[in-house]
Amino acid sequence: MAQLFSQRADILLRTALVAAIISVVALPLAAWAFARTPAATGQYRAFRQPVPFAHSLHVSGLKIDCRYCHAGAERAAMAGLPPTAACVPCHHDATVSSNLFTAVRQSLSSGKPIPWQRVTRLPDFVFFNHAVHVQNGVDCQACHGPVESMREVYQAAPLTMEWCVQCHRAPERYITPRATRVSGWMRGDLARGRAIAARYDVQRLLSCTTCHR
Amino acid sequence: MSVTREEMVQRLGGSRRSFMKLLGASLALAGVEGCTRMPASNILPYVNQPELTPGLPQFYATSMVLDGYATGLLVESHEGRPTKVEGNPDHPASLGAAGVFEQASVLQLYDPHRARRVRRDNQTSSWSELAAALRQEALRQQAGSTGAGLFLLLEPTSSPLESELIDRLLELYPAAHVHFYAPLATSGALVPLYDFREADVALAVDSDFLASGPFHLRYAREFAERRRPEAGAMNRFYAIESSVSVTGNAADHRLALAPSAIVPALEQLLAALQDRESTKWIGALAKDLRAHARRSVVVASPYLPERAQALALQINQALGNVGRTVWFTRSPLVGAGDARHSLASLVDALRAGEVRTLVCAGGNPGYATAASLGIGPLIKRVPQSVYVGLYENETARDCGWMVPAAHFLESWGDARAYDGTLSVVQPLVEPIFGARTVVELLSLLIGEPDVHPYDRLRDAWRTRGALAGGAGFDEGWKEVLRRGVLDGSAFPREQAAPEFASEERPAAGSGALDIVFRPHPRVHDGAFANNGWLQELPDPITTLTWDNAAEISPADAQRLDIDDGDLVELRAGQRSLRMPALVVRGHADAAVTVHFGYGRDGEEAVARGVGANVYALWPGDRFSISGAQLSRVPGARRDLALTQFHRTLEVSTPVRALTLEQFQNLQPERRPKTLTLYQPTAPLPDGTAPHQWAMTIDLGACIGCGACMVACQAENNVPVVGREEVLRGREMHWLRIDWYAIGPPEGGHYRNSVVSKGASVVSGFSRTEPMAMAQPMLCQHCEKAPCEYACPVEATVHSSDGLNEMIYNRCVGTRFCSNNCPYKVRRFNWIDYNAGLSETEQLARNPDVTVRERGVMEKCTFCVQRIRQTEIAARVEHRSFAGSEVRTACQQACPTQAIAFGSLDDAQSPMVAARTTKRAYAVLDDLGTEPRVRYLARVRNANPDLEPSA
Repeated sequence: MAQLFSQRADILLRTALVAAIISVVALPLAAWAFARTPAATGQYRAFRQPVPFAHSLHVSGLKIDCRYCHAGAERAAMAGLPPTAACVPCHHDATVSSNLFTAVRQSLSSGKPIPWQRVTRLPDFVFFNHAVHVQNGVDCQACHGPVESMREVYQAAPLTMEWCVQCHRAPERYITPRATRVSGWMRGDLARGRAIAARYDVQRLLSCTTCHR
Repeated sequence: MSVTREEMVQRLGGSRRSFMKLLGASLALAGVEGCTRMPASNILPYVNQPELTPGLPQFYATSMVLDGYATGLLVESHEGRPTKVEGNPDHPASLGAAGVFEQASVLQLYDPHRARRVRRDNQTSSWSELAAALRQEALRQQAGSTGAGLFLLLEPTSSPLESELIDRLLELYPAAHVHFYAPLATSGALVPLYDFREADVALAVDSDFLASGPFHLRYAREFAERRRPEAGAMNRFYAIESSVSVTGNAADHRLALAPSAIVPALEQLLAALQDRESTKWIGALAKDLRAHARRSVVVASPYLPERAQALALQINQALGNVGRTVWFTRSPLVGAGDARHSLASLVDALRAGEVRTLVCAGGNPGYATAASLGIGPLIKRVPQSVYVGLYENETARDCGWMVPAAHFLESWGDARAYDGTLSVVQPLVEPIFGARTVVELLSLLIGEPDVHPYDRLRDAWRTRGALAGGAGFDEGWKEVLRRGVLDGSAFPREQAAPEFASEERPAAGSGALDIVFRPHPRVHDGAFANNGWLQELPDPITTLTWDNAAEISPADAQRLDIDDGDLVELRAGQRSLRMPALVVRGHADAAVTVHFGYGRDGEEAVARGVGANVYALWPGDRFSISGAQLSRVPGARRDLALTQFHRTLEVSTPVRALTLEQFQNLQPERRPKTLTLYQPTAPLPDGTAPHQWAMTIDLGACIGCGACMVACQAENNVPVVGREEVLRGREMHWLRIDWYAIGPPEGGHYRNSVVSKGASVVSGFSRTEPMAMAQPMLCQHCEKAPCEYACPVEATVHSSDGLNEMIYNRCVGTRFCSNNCPYKVRRFNWIDYNAGLSETEQLARNPDVTVRERGVMEKCTFCVQRIRQTEIAARVEHRSFAGSEVRTACQQACPTQAIAFGSLDDAQSPMVAARTTKRAYAVLDDLGTEPRVRYLARVRNANPDLEPSA
């Protein structure tokens, strides 16, 4: 009786087996890993904004408090962006006439808002509240990174659920005293973190509806 | 508004096959989507920020006016867009509750079918062109120098501002005529007010005072205060009625009588009070009333003939109730009791051709009038006619000019509550479609079109002198705007009692049937017919949605061989109407009930073509007629979208009741240890949050009005699915109201008739009078939730504070959870019910709640967004908070405060107190699911003389 399979059949079989293992194990693994890279999460991504506003100049240089512009951060869900009119008290006519301020001038004269690009974006099914984080000792930089040194603001954190939950599991690793909440704080001192957590009664909130409603 | 699957298949390119292909493609893409970045989007800050913090909602006090009377509201606004209506606790007509119309009014504001342009005939025009056409010289030329040809047809109004403007108009045109009309408005110069807290025995005669009428929210609250046996002496409540009403189902004893038998029954009752012979039921009632003279009350429906009203007054006078539980005040309506302002006199003038200019503002007289008047063609004949209305409706069609009317949430104005209390109507937004108010229209007619309504209102209040004048005015005015109501401005009690005309009985027709005309509990006189929330809200008695029907008793149905949905022809005199029949348990024999508000044929896309127009049969001057005929149209049927049998619970006693005597002798229930399939867990495992959320619902107080259902829909972005989907059993309400038949097992279609099971827990039900009992059913937040065991992806899990959570972004739509839920409270998004939502309707969405997509399960969350907001607010203010600070949407809307919510750790709260009473029980507690919702059994204060002795 003639051979049913040629000599190449073994090679084909082995190749197919390897391919199957790769597709079942390696590809999902690769997808899993890719989803955590900045390419997928948008971490470090910056946008060209309609006004080349430099946080480094305003925060580090002029020592303007975050809350001057992001007034809702301590009270509301949204930190908020300043109204166009907030630029005017400092940037009087002389500076406003420069090309850098075209969008501001247009907004003021037309009454239409400046179309800022959103840098830190969460999905619609996530209900993030700035106020409660700030009040519980999460400072701005914990999520937004070293904004005070950014010329162009980029997304400092991956903003994945994994990233959110690591702090919700162990807030003592990240929280700071409220007094320093807008000026930066060295993180990582666990003993101090635990003391702060006890003082503020910070809870580990891991129920789904903490964020998803 | 909603999309059926067929429509969706069509939108996606026609065939089912391409639908499946697209479905496959979108599934494949869904996998990829998870790995891609968030798409770019903009943040648009204000240019000049008003006094608000984006993200923090604001509340404003305003009032909604219905049939002339104001109900005070607090409206939630997110960055300038109103999203949710609550009752104003300071307002006498609300006391903090809000009914179905108030709750749903916010959807009407954003209704994409509202009129958007001023038009003249078919040409787009403008407000200034109308102003030119109605300026003094032009108007005098058109309608005579004294305005003899000028006729105004307004909705009944209690607004002092409008009244003053009308007076000024009449100064300018002394011979002009002003008429007020709404089909359901009362017209007497004196109106009755009741105090149910003081009444030990109450009798409602065809009156639905708990669920309709200008003071029903207040009456429901006061009535319910006397229905809690723990809180004090219960009242005993009797109802005599023809059709079945929410109020009738709340009664301890209910007698169904055809309308023509009601006046004789009242005559008999009056006679029985003087010891004359009567039937057993009336005799027992008379005895009870006499035993509680001066502490009883008889409430007659304003829709009853004047003879019945007069009898009710005589009975109250005979019992010495007048001045105690019932009294009278001046009617707050402008021109009340004056026949010159009636519709009839306008129709006479129209017929005589005297009307040169007709200005019609609000209402819909082209539809909501007796068809026999033929008012549409009459209006069409008027040389100059102007209609100011929300919609391009039947009236607009017949008028030359059409001006979009402003919604009350866009208007400045004032009005009075039923007791005369001055209330403010304050806008939450600029008119979305450039609409105008009646105040602006009247201003235009008196030649002052440029005065802003706000300035006019403030100046009117300044000159009226109700507030402090001079420098103190601004402060007082601001306070009135803040609170929405001026305290102490109610009318004083009048010593006189109203006089009723001794009318002649209209000649009866040849038939044997009475027809009862009633406002529809969901769309009223038709004004709310274009509101999807209200169309889909099941009728509180029949659970009918998206339709009206001729309601008949089971005995009549059997006699005429009629079943639910069979088309019948109603014939009254020369007029006839075809509509589907519906068998209603407890309905009076030899009577048919029909509801106004349907059979619309204006340009309102939601309302158009739904149901039958019963104004075609209505005589216009009374609300019941006798001598009608009913016959079945052979072979013709219409499927009725009833929700009665959707999601039934497969058990014997979901509702419970006790007689007062049983309640008093009741020993606290010792719960047997239950066997359960589910793993026992520690009730409060480690790491539990301090607050453990729970709810208690008092079935003794619940009247089943449905306010909670609309409140839930508004708060939680619950979609409207449409009639076809309701027929498939896919309505999405997170909170539903189940009705259970109680009493004798007499026909009609109901959930499992609990009394036939004979269990002791339902022994409180009447055994002779067919009634129904309501049970709000929502997610029970079981501590051992069967749904959680079934979910393969952990999309439904338990939170540390005792909530059964539903995570939409994790749900893959297996529907195992719903299958495993014994309470049947889970809802599945079969198709994308939010697709095709207009831009304006999107504005009505609550920004704090996810709008769910296709393929996702959803259910009651205990308003978790409100819980979290309260937690966050307390954190931000560095304080702790009691569980009772959180109020769910259903609880807040409830007129009778039947729903209590809070935390189990808060032992002092009313919620915990209620669930520890003897009346408390859990539905299906034998399953061992440990639900967090507890119900309180209803207590029935039966009259021993009327109970069968067995």
